[in-house]
Amino acid sequence: MAKFITRRLAHAVLVIIAATFLIYLGLFTLGDPFASSGEKTVPPEIQEALRAKFGMDQPFFMQYLTYLQNMFTFDFGIDFEQRRDVADMLATAVPATARLALFAIIIEVIIGLTAGIIAAVAPYTFRDVFITIITTLGIGIPVFVIGIGLRAWLSGEWIFPAVPRSFTVETPWWQEIILPALTLAILDAAFIARLMRGSMLEVLRADFIRTARAKGISERKVIGKHAFRNSIIPVVTYTGVSLGVLLGGALITERIFEYQGLGYLLVRAISQHNNPVIVPIVVFAVVVFVLLSTLVDILYAYLDPRIRLH
Amino acid sequence: MARNESTTDFDLGDGPAAPLLEVDDLRVHFTTDGGLVKAVDGVSWYVDEGETLAIVGESGSGKSVSAMSILGLVPSPPAVFPSGDIRLRGRSILALPEKQQRKLRGSEIAMIFQDPLTALNPVFKVGDQIAEMVTNHQHVSKTVARRKVLDLLGEVGIPNPGVRINQYPHEFSGGMRQRAMIAMALANDPKVLLADEPTTALDVTIQAQIMLLLEKLQEERNTAIVLITHDLGLVASHADRINVMYAGRIVESGSCDDVFYRPQHAYTYGLLSSLARMDRSRQERLLPITGMPPSLSNVPPGCPFHPRCRFATEACSEALPPLDTVVLPETDGGGLHRAACIHSDQVQIAFEERLAQ
Amino acid sequence: MTTPPQSGREPDTHVPAEALMTRFEAPDPDSTETGPKNGRRKNGSTGQFKEIWRRYKRNKLAVVGLALVIFLMVLAILQPWITPFDPMEQNPINSRNPPSARHWFGTDILGRDMFSGIVYGTRLAMIVGWSVMILSLVVGLALGAIAGFRGKATDSIIMRITDIVLAFPALIGAILVVQIFGNGIPQVIIALVILSWPTAARLMRGSTLSLRESEYVEAARSIGASDTRIVTRHILPNAIGPTLIYSFSHIGVAIVAMASLAFLGIGVPADIPEWGTMIAKAVPSLNVEGEAHMWMFPSLAIVITTLAFAFVADGLRDSIDPKLR
Repeated sequence: MAKFITRRLAHAVLVIIAATFLIYLGLFTLGDPFASSGEKTVPPEIQEALRAKFGMDQPFFMQYLTYLQNMFTFDFGIDFEQRRDVADMLATAVPATARLALFAIIIEVIIGLTAGIIAAVAPYTFRDVFITIITTLGIGIPVFVIGIGLRAWLSGEWIFPAVPRSFTVETPWWQEIILPALTLAILDAAFIARLMRGSMLEVLRADFIRTARAKGISERKVIGKHAFRNSIIPVVTYTGVSLGVLLGGALITERIFEYQGLGYLLVRAISQHNNPVIVPIVVFAVVVFVLLSTLVDILYAYLDPRIRLH
Repeated sequence: MARNESTTDFDLGDGPAAPLLEVDDLRVHFTTDGGLVKAVDGVSWYVDEGETLAIVGESGSGKSVSAMSILGLVPSPPAVFPSGDIRLRGRSILALPEKQQRKLRGSEIAMIFQDPLTALNPVFKVGDQIAEMVTNHQHVSKTVARRKVLDLLGEVGIPNPGVRINQYPHEFSGGMRQRAMIAMALANDPKVLLADEPTTALDVTIQAQIMLLLEKLQEERNTAIVLITHDLGLVASHADRINVMYAGRIVESGSCDDVFYRPQHAYTYGLLSSLARMDRSRQERLLPITGMPPSLSNVPPGCPFHPRCRFATEACSEALPPLDTVVLPETDGGGLHRAACIHSDQVQIAFEERLAQ
Repeated sequence: MTTPPQSGREPDTHVPAEALMTRFEAPDPDSTETGPKNGRRKNGSTGQFKEIWRRYKRNKLAVVGLALVIFLMVLAILQPWITPFDPMEQNPINSRNPPSARHWFGTDILGRDMFSGIVYGTRLAMIVGWSVMILSLVVGLALGAIAGFRGKATDSIIMRITDIVLAFPALIGAILVVQIFGNGIPQVIIALVILSWPTAARLMRGSTLSLRESEYVEAARSIGASDTRIVTRHILPNAIGPTLIYSFSHIGVAIVAMASLAFLGIGVPADIPEWGTMIAKAVPSLNVEGEAHMWMFPSLAIVITTLAFAFVADGLRDSIDPKLR
């Protein structure tokens, strides 16, 4: 197991190095990242400072190392727009995004697992068909349509804060998070339900379920222990990867609800050609995604002992 | 070995002289899109302590379904049970509420399955799976259960129980897995052990070891074994009595000697004639049974075997022959010998001619 | 590296009641139908296509999906003759009009006819969806087959590249590519192909690997068939199934991806009537009474399109490879 983990981590580090190199290649060497573009003018002194910070007067390889060093010492420079330290901006955006991601994941796992299990234990009944229809719709409707719909119908009503936010009213964080989290959770909950239903149906046909029943243990335990532990494996994989994506910023949802997280920052930075903000967010998103995927692989091996041998 | 405290309110001590386990006119039908499938259609048998009853038949003859009905392992729907009763020491199991039935499963009646790889849960340690069987039926602490598991593993001949108890099924070999299954089945000292093709998935050399182990454990504990198999060779050396099943019914039933040496049903005759025998110096020609077993949703009228039968006459397709007691002058006890064949005299003659060859 | 499970791959859908019983030895009524003994399976591909179509027809949702997809394709092809207005033509006086006899779906913030815009968006969605599917299928099949068949260094290089591409969350990756290549529909197509070929290649590699060791490939090799012949004649036709199913299910994903980018104002030029840009333009009207048509119609168009393609992909998966159920 230790060997397996080491190998997975080494692989992750290599992939991160390669991916950050690609980002660097794409954003830095194909054009000047800090030049003015379009109607946007960047004050020359800021351009100069950034070029010096990223060592752009140095040879290519040294530039890359400087960029890496900046990225991993949280030294990102100053953003064009508000002249603020990018590290400070991220220091508030990262927790906001993390909160949203965790909230969404908790909702979707609870709803998805419950619906999937209910459907799987009584296949082809009314309950199952109903759940299948809902999940098919949930998967078929793109996240921005769900978000737009929720914002159109619910924002400003009851406990849900209005969007765009009014800055005179202080809203508690959980009120602010509830609609975006729901938006993110609907799609994934539908997916998890489907995944869980499929994998549980398959597991319930397995011989070892028959063995468990032959042991005389209660049906609740047959489903909740023997079948659950086996059918949860693909759901864990999916949820982990999905969390990895969300932690890098839920671009669309944050944008729709003007939720001040990484995704919101990134989208705004892109429209403003604000490279000092774009670069660290993209790097962060990739690093988190790779690490989460690796974690999922390790968890997978823990959940399914047969994998550990390879 | 001391009997564990029974957790059921099933008093097995002072019952009447009823057989230990009795299946009475059991019918298990499945409703499917393709029509009604009569997997088991009126089957009766019994088994007593220390006895091995074999149920022999091709796949699709209903032999496994009848055994799994005893443990309530047949999902309903699609299964329906139009008639029949299953009695343990004279008391109906089917009449019990589900919770009571569950208490019997694994404690009074246990089962071992064909493929020990798929029958064990891949994500739990073997020791934990056996311990679950103990703790589910006996109120004992984890440490006691663990000690019990260690004893059981040793008893079924698994070397190094201390190491094996913490391993996962995929770390066991096929034979070891089946031993673990047996240990699990015997964890609560069941009175009846249902063994569904216990050796089919194993190597021939391992098969013999497993059967010897079962025999040894049976002797020590006086367990009744119901051996479900398609393997006549296995039956010949290990069973006391044999039920031959065809198309959801018992077609012949009797002691091992009766069925092997005095078959009265054309199907049994066919099975025996298609079997190479080691106890003969000169091998007679093997006679395969032609055709395929019938679809259980469309069983031929009359005797279900008649389309494949070499003795069939018109009468065979008209009425279903009852499972009648066979009276043979030379039968020397050995229990009841019954067959559902109207041409059993011809079968007997043909078989004797074959032996004489 | 784990890839997110693809929406089309989970083993659910239809389990007939008789399948529940096979473990109880009851005969499977289907077995007489599909068994090789009755010689029903014809040689050659026509028989195979017929068989696939026969299975496909049984799935009603898939048939509905197919009809919708055909409808959308016709709409896309005939767009110049269908649209009553020039979808680009702005008319600020008629801005944000509700649906009427003249403007069936109303007008947008610039006074453009929404119906024309949505039909134009259909054309765009079909072009992008199919281009991404075909291009990523071609690249994925080629590289996957090479990786699987050659093995060794070639295999490792191609697989490491897929690892790196798959290290980018999809939307972030697409944004990065668009940042590099600039805005435009072709750039969006390229971005989506770059992000989707690795999964196709991995699937193809997997099937190729298993077929490479198969007996009939051994047989072909033993009579001296060339590598090219073995790959194109023996491996490709048999290995293509899962990759094809993935690529098809990816059409809907590509359409949503483009709409998502457009919604964020990335990649798709803002003046092109595209479903995502239309919805983005409607955001200020979200809570305004009487302007719901501005986001509802394009949303409906996207939902119908993705559902149609999802139904077809599900139907295809079940009919091409019943084992994947």
